Amino acid sequence: MKKLETFGIKPHDALLKAEGQQWSLMEKLLLGLTLDQYIGQAFRNKLNWLLAIIFAIGIPVILYRFVFSLGSITHGSYDYPWGLFLGFGLFCMVPLSASGFMLGTTVEIFGRHDFEPIERLALLNGLLGYFFAVVYLLVDLGQPWRLSYPMVYSFGPAAVLFLVGWHVATYLSVQVAEVSTAFFEWIGFKRGYDFIRKGTIGLTVSGVILSTLHQGALGALFLYAPGKVHPLWYSAPFQWIHFFTSSIPAGLCMVICVSTIVIYTMKWRCDQRFIDNLDWITIALAKGAAMGLSTYLIIKLIAVAHDNEWAYLTTGWGAWWLLEIIGFVVLPLVILSYGIHNKLVGICRIGAFLTVAGILLNRLNTALIAFNWQLYQEIPHYLEFIVAITIFAIYVATYRFILARLPILYKFKPQAEE
Amino acid sequence: MSKITRRRFLAGSAAGGAAIMLTPAKKALAAGSFEGFPDGMGVLVDLTRCVGCRTCEAACNAEQNLPEPAKPFDDTSVFDEIHHGQKRRTTDKAYTIVNRYEPKDSDEPVYRKIQCNHCNEPACLTSCFVNAYKKTPEGAVIYNEKVCVGCRNCMIACPFHIPAYTYHSVLNPVIKKCIFCYDTRLKEGRPPACVESCPQQVMTFGKRKDLMVIAHERIKKNPGKYVDHVYGEKEVGGTGWFYLSSAPFEEVGFDVNLPKKPIIDNVKDFLAIVPIVLTVWPALFTGFHLLATKGKSHGHGDDHSHDEQEGH
Amino acid sequence: MVNASKQLIAGLGVLMLFAVLSASCYAMDYPDEVEIDSLANLYEPVVFDHAMHVDATESCAECHHHTTGTEVINEYCAKCHTGTVEMDAVSCQDCHSADPVSPENLHHPKPGYSYHNDQPNLKAAYHLNCLGCHQEVGGPTGCEDCHVKTEAGDKFYRSGEFAPKEPAHSSEH
Repeated sequence: MKKLETFGIKPHDALLKAEGQQWSLMEKLLLGLTLDQYIGQAFRNKLNWLLAIIFAIGIPVILYRFVFSLGSITHGSYDYPWGLFLGFGLFCMVPLSASGFMLGTTVEIFGRHDFEPIERLALLNGLLGYFFAVVYLLVDLGQPWRLSYPMVYSFGPAAVLFLVGWHVATYLSVQVAEVSTAFFEWIGFKRGYDFIRKGTIGLTVSGVILSTLHQGALGALFLYAPGKVHPLWYSAPFQWIHFFTSSIPAGLCMVICVSTIVIYTMKWRCDQRFIDNLDWITIALAKGAAMGLSTYLIIKLIAVAHDNEWAYLTTGWGAWWLLEIIGFVVLPLVILSYGIHNKLVGICRIGAFLTVAGILLNRLNTALIAFNWQLYQEIPHYLEFIVAITIFAIYVATYRFILARLPILYKFKPQAEE
Repeated sequence: MSKITRRRFLAGSAAGGAAIMLTPAKKALAAGSFEGFPDGMGVLVDLTRCVGCRTCEAACNAEQNLPEPAKPFDDTSVFDEIHHGQKRRTTDKAYTIVNRYEPKDSDEPVYRKIQCNHCNEPACLTSCFVNAYKKTPEGAVIYNEKVCVGCRNCMIACPFHIPAYTYHSVLNPVIKKCIFCYDTRLKEGRPPACVESCPQQVMTFGKRKDLMVIAHERIKKNPGKYVDHVYGEKEVGGTGWFYLSSAPFEEVGFDVNLPKKPIIDNVKDFLAIVPIVLTVWPALFTGFHLLATKGKSHGHGDDHSHDEQEGH
Repeated sequence: MVNASKQLIAGLGVLMLFAVLSASCYAMDYPDEVEIDSLANLYEPVVFDHAMHVDATESCAECHHHTTGTEVINEYCAKCHTGTVEMDAVSCQDCHSADPVSPENLHHPKPGYSYHNDQPNLKAAYHLNCLGCHQEVGGPTGCEDCHVKTEAGDKFYRSGEFAPKEPAHSSEH
């Protein structure tokens, strides 16, 4: 795309062409390029080649799973019923997608319209994260075609998973509605856009409710397994608070990470407003993340004190826990604070990447590594890794596809400029 | 306050209300503590009697029409099998398993039979989001395969590592576990196949409350023979099957750190906040919105009519 | 296989020490051999060498509790059964019901139930008694040391010609 720009070719970014005609859908999909131009740039893109390799290996494995059962691509472990698909796919993707409700709240509820340039990116990040968490879930469920059972057929309302299921489903629709404004703009459906805009506050408030509950509920799921999760990662009164508070820095830092990647790899798609505002927004988001992270750290320590688990710190598990807390909570907190204090965007970004890594580590620790700590540790089947990576690659490809087209990083103009 | 503000306020409340309705009867959850059905049946398992003949495994296999085992049921080499450092456990092909243990202060090995313990307040049941599980008045914890989605949350929840899953089924993978021979025997008041087949009467079948008396009498009548504890009397809220042992329970494979309260009690703290969030959040955040945007525009930057709205 | 286990249970109903009808073994009026055939489905009947066991034990009470008129050994039994009175019921099945959890037994406990509420069933009475002693004194303890498995038994235990054909593999990976 960069190369094309040097030839003076600009991507589609407005309702009408410079000459005043409508864009056709095909032209929109091709970003306003000709087919040859589009294919040319697609082949030049190295990421496409990487994705192609992953898909070539991974998609057959996914099909294999559905033809030959879940047991054919996993160890089929009775002691580790939840593997990578849920451990990573559900428990990591959901907190990293908390950005939607937080930026939605900031802009719509608290009226901080100066955050608008990033709002849609945060909403999209939320939507795609949830959507792909559900994709992971569908691969993991024994009978994915029964996914609707808890919704319509057989209710288990006392179960935390019931709450998670309902909330993720409802929240997903809320997010679809929130992001649909960008889509309606893009296809030029003004009435749909106006309709959704009217309900923004309602959508945002229900987003906050649903998010608070299901982010916490994901933690509460592990409350069913006292004894199985190592005490340092388990706390009956605090588990849901841990998961909820940590989702705040997780979501904010994920937006910083995505915007960093975007500004380095897709700058052509960002408009001046996004580019000009990104630095101060990054620092502001980092500020929010740092506050969330310090709250999380304090509650984490309170939980250890409350359950009096200090003795565990001297064990091997304690060392592993300290690594997570010091290396992936305290350290990013220090880095973020330094970056915020000195207004260094790059430092904040490093802190954000570290925070995201810390959330991944925490969720994987709770769901897999420190799970069954008294039994044995299981390394998932290699095909399970391949499927997990493939779905993540589909996520990346979808993310990029949408960012390149819908007015997420740029503001839709009434008419293209010459 | 302008009209728009009011309307938005109502929209917010409505969304909150909708959210409440979408999460039906948050519960039954505060169901209190359920002590089990008064006439529920149970089984007293006396480990001191077990000689590891595995007849119960064979009887279970026959009664439940389970697939052929890997080794004959009279083959005791299975006691030496170790997977991931663990002794054998229940699977989708074997609902009960006998393992051999060598406690520190005993010359003789101790054998322990595992199967579903049929908890009074089962963790599997409370964790199931399609309500597939049921605790019957007869005392069995049974489940409905027809609604099992395959989330395997019950396997996470079971403190005894009992439910297994037919991972290798393509079209109909489901949970599999001991059901106290409910369909074929318990319903008619007969003991399960394993109990009946046991040559040593390791297992005594009867009303749970009667058996509990017998269990404590056995401890009293045989001073020094048993550890003074009935495993399953209080563990996780009480189990339908409970155990007597001559060796410390932790040395014969039991988890002695389980809470005395039902597993669901751990989750109740969280479930209690659900209605609070559902009712308080809409008001709270709509309030924030009104405060934060007071005297400011209620419009939106992306909104092209933004400038016209400035007047409110 | 369901059938096999049912027959096993049915077999329990068959009384075993059919030769033990005399009132007293104390008076040396006891059978020398007893054929026990309650498990005769899964196992061949056991020919129990009663005479040998009489010689090998010091007192009838080691097996027969307080029923034969010898001094009562078990302290718990001795609390009530102090005298050396011969009972009418001597053979195992006279007291040990084959099926103590049958509905009638559950709901109509026998007299003296409160002290005999934890009585093993007949099959267990044999095995607990025999095997318990064998373990202590070093007698044979393997199942087939005492009774020979029948074809139905092989089928039930999936052994012998009914053994799994596949090389043994575990269900776990």
